[in-house]
Amino acid sequence: MNQLDELRDIIVGDSAQQLNELAERIEDVEKRTKDVAEVLSPAIDQQGDKLANSLQKPVSIGLKRAIRSEPKEYAEILYPVMAPSIRRAIAQAISSMMVTINRTIESATTVQGLSLRYQSLRTGIPYAELALRRSLLYRVEHVYLIHRETGMAIESLHSEGTEAPDSDAVSAMFSAIQSFVQDSFSSDESSLLSGFKVGEQNVWVANGPNSMLACVIRGDAPESLKTELYNTLDLIRTQYGNSLVDFEGDVAPFSGIDLYLQPLLQSELKESESPRSPDSKKTMPLGSAIFMALLVLGGIFFLAKWMMGKSDIATVEHFLRDTPGVAATDIYWSNGKLRVKGLKDPDAVIPYETLESYGIEQELLVFNMIPFRSLEVDMEMQRFRNELDLPTGVELLVQDGEIQLRGRAPLTWLNSKGSRLRQLAADRRLSVKPLAATRSSVSTLLKTSLPYDAVKDLRLSHVQDKVQTTVVISGSTDLPTLTLLRSLFAANDWVDVTAIPKGAQ
Amino acid sequence: MDKKKICMVGDFSVGKTSLTQKFVNNVFSEKYLTTIGVKIDTVEVESTKLIIWDVAGRDSLSPINASYLVGAAGVILVADGTRESTVSGLLDIWAVVEKRIGSVPCVVALNKCDLPDWHVSESNLDEFASRDWSVFQTSAKKGHDVETLFHTLVAKI
Repeated sequence: MNQLDELRDIIVGDSAQQLNELAERIEDVEKRTKDVAEVLSPAIDQQGDKLANSLQKPVSIGLKRAIRSEPKEYAEILYPVMAPSIRRAIAQAISSMMVTINRTIESATTVQGLSLRYQSLRTGIPYAELALRRSLLYRVEHVYLIHRETGMAIESLHSEGTEAPDSDAVSAMFSAIQSFVQDSFSSDESSLLSGFKVGEQNVWVANGPNSMLACVIRGDAPESLKTELYNTLDLIRTQYGNSLVDFEGDVAPFSGIDLYLQPLLQSELKESESPRSPDSKKTMPLGSAIFMALLVLGGIFFLAKWMMGKSDIATVEHFLRDTPGVAATDIYWSNGKLRVKGLKDPDAVIPYETLESYGIEQELLVFNMIPFRSLEVDMEMQRFRNELDLPTGVELLVQDGEIQLRGRAPLTWLNSKGSRLRQLAADRRLSVKPLAATRSSVSTLLKTSLPYDAVKDLRLSHVQDKVQTTVVISGSTDLPTLTLLRSLFAANDWVDVTAIPKGAQ
Repeated sequence: MDKKKICMVGDFSVGKTSLTQKFVNNVFSEKYLTTIGVKIDTVEVESTKLIIWDVAGRDSLSPINASYLVGAAGVILVADGTRESTVSGLLDIWAVVEKRIGSVPCVVALNKCDLPDWHVSESNLDEFASRDWSVFQTSAKKGHDVETLFHTLVAKI
């Protein structure tokens, strides 16, 4: 220890050690942190407002940065708080929108709606306002929270679409009226004006010790609203009691008070249109109505489609039934195609054109048919016509359910079709009984095949027996001609030779 | 914005309503004055919204309605400078005001200064000065000192 230290020791003594300890404490971050932690809490308590003001900016910046860096986490934290409010707000907005749409649709399409339009044009009052007035049971249009002593408006709210007057002037006037009525009609200071009626509007006033709540109502509100007014006033007194007592015109301490007043801006529509209406169960919300309407329309659409589908089947069935050579056993829809199962004669013709005229396109139809030979009269007749190439004078007809060939045919045609006709007759598909050769065709054959002198004494006549009609060659001729004649018609069913040799009589 | 209620008081026909008309947003018609005895107007002066209660004038039959004074942050006493009685009557009116709402800030408007027959006694002016009231010679007709009147009261409030 040198002299200087000794001297210091003498002068400062024990304090030197304390100074050293203090210096050490200041330099030691850990110790300093501990010291600050000890005094921080009481310091905050002491400097509450001041500290809050100082911290406002850094906390705000910090919060913004934190949210920016971890938005998802914050969203998750806030979700349970925000979600119900958002849901409620959306539900309310949708509900209100539905009521509006409902009302607009109704009012725009009725006689009443047109009358309102006319009234609106005549009076200059907006259509929406007129429609609302008519459909309203009541609506709270303005709410004023008024400081009793000064008559000043602490807060005022106005329903959507209503003109907001100078709330301070109106509040003061309410207050003046209150004083005027009290002075004029009652000596008792506690007797206060609780309401008055002006035209279609009612003013209801709820009086509290320091404030009064005035509601301007269009229409007739339920008595329960009065209770709501007083309940609201009580709530406000509980929350803002001191501010009400100290009020001198500064409304800043009343921030958030509109949340208490907002529920009072209520309305109820006639015919239970409002969601607040106790009879709302009787009316179907528009959403449900639309859903039901869609359901019904959908039902009708599918029913119509089903019926049309059924109707298509019926149409096809009907026309196929009338089509010769087709026997449909099953008609059904499959993969958008109309499938037909059954039997079909290869000669049968599907009436596509007729079906198309009924809206059934050829592409829509798919036939799964087993081929068969139809013996239906129409089919047979069609087939005979195609096959036999009927000459003039011969007709195909149906007599007593039997197909007949009737008339006089050239012998050449009869000879060419002879075997086929015989076959058809043998099969009983066709009767040729009324069919005969023309005498002229037989005569021509005779004249071209035999000398004139030989045939001039022959006669031709039609003779009908049980089986068929034949041309009978009668008369007489020379024997060689007769032999020739007989050989000429020997195998011919249509001509009979009954002529005899000359000189044989 | 801060809001203040002020009252215009004075004898009948001294020009209270005319003074405010020069300066305010008219909300209600003057018939209120005769029906319920007060008419409300509002105006913004600097950053304060004044709610002006134009209280019906006092006459020999009816005193001013003191109920309307309750809650006022200031008062404008209005007299007709051409009628001495209305000027000296301000002291009686002030007595009513003071009794009801206490000694609130006050300014005095001696109105109709555009007219030639000016009758304001020195003793009255001295009395006003002793009470620390600012006195203005106003003319509702010409708008003289009307704004100053209101601005001064706002400053006092």
